[in-house]
Amino acid sequence: MVLALIIDGPLTPELEARTLLGHADQLRSLSGDGTIGATLRFEGIVRRAERDPEAADAERDLLALDYQTYDPMAQRELEALAASVAARHGLKSIVALHSRGRVRVGEVSFVLQVAAPHRAESLAAVADFIDRLKQDVPIWKWSVWAV
Amino acid sequence: MHESPANAAVTPYTSVVQVEVLIFGAASFGAKSDRVHVKVSDTPTVREVLAAMHAQHPALKFALPPPETGRLAVNHAFARGDNAIRQGDEVALVTLVVGG
Repeated sequence: MVLALIIDGPLTPELEARTLLGHADQLRSLSGDGTIGATLRFEGIVRRAERDPEAADAERDLLALDYQTYDPMAQRELEALAASVAARHGLKSIVALHSRGRVRVGEVSFVLQVAAPHRAESLAAVADFIDRLKQDVPIWKWSVWAV
Repeated sequence: MHESPANAAVTPYTSVVQVEVLIFGAASFGAKSDRVHVKVSDTPTVREVLAAMHAQHPALKFALPPPETGRLAVNHAFARGDNAIRQGDEVALVTLVVGG
């Protein structure tokens, strides 16, 4: 199963559950078919301290990050990347969710969950996905400073 | 004796068009705009638009890929090199992305 979505606002557990509800049967059948040996979940969380290039890269406190997407290309490229990483690493499933708009400190802006027959594929797939996300998916972040 | 029109040297003529390029992130912040315009020859390639951006918008150099190997988004798909940009195409600079 390949699922990749850009979603407005922070990625809360409730929002994620609602988003995945339509795919529950697929996820359940995958987890019970005996082919998955490893699942891995990565969450990107907005942290408080961020370097400010406008202040000689000094660390400042953030209030939030505003994620800007170039639509609909961002959604298409996120889907293409998920499909490509799934094929390259032989994944049984991949779910990639990314925020659009404001995400406050401590909130989740990115979720990646992969399932693979073996540990090595799942670890490699997560690293590969994140590297390529930063090259190919048109999403930018703006710092919203606390002061 | 006059040269016949058929043998006369043809003066090269190239029309100039303006291409609008959407910009984002740090490039947009630096330019204080969400788009820039470049003057290029009619039906330019991606390479020519990138070269024109380097020449006409030097302040954006930090965000511009090399014309020979760089890419632009044309109608929401990545395009490089000899890909032609036609009137009405949506062109965007998609570099320095920072998702995740």
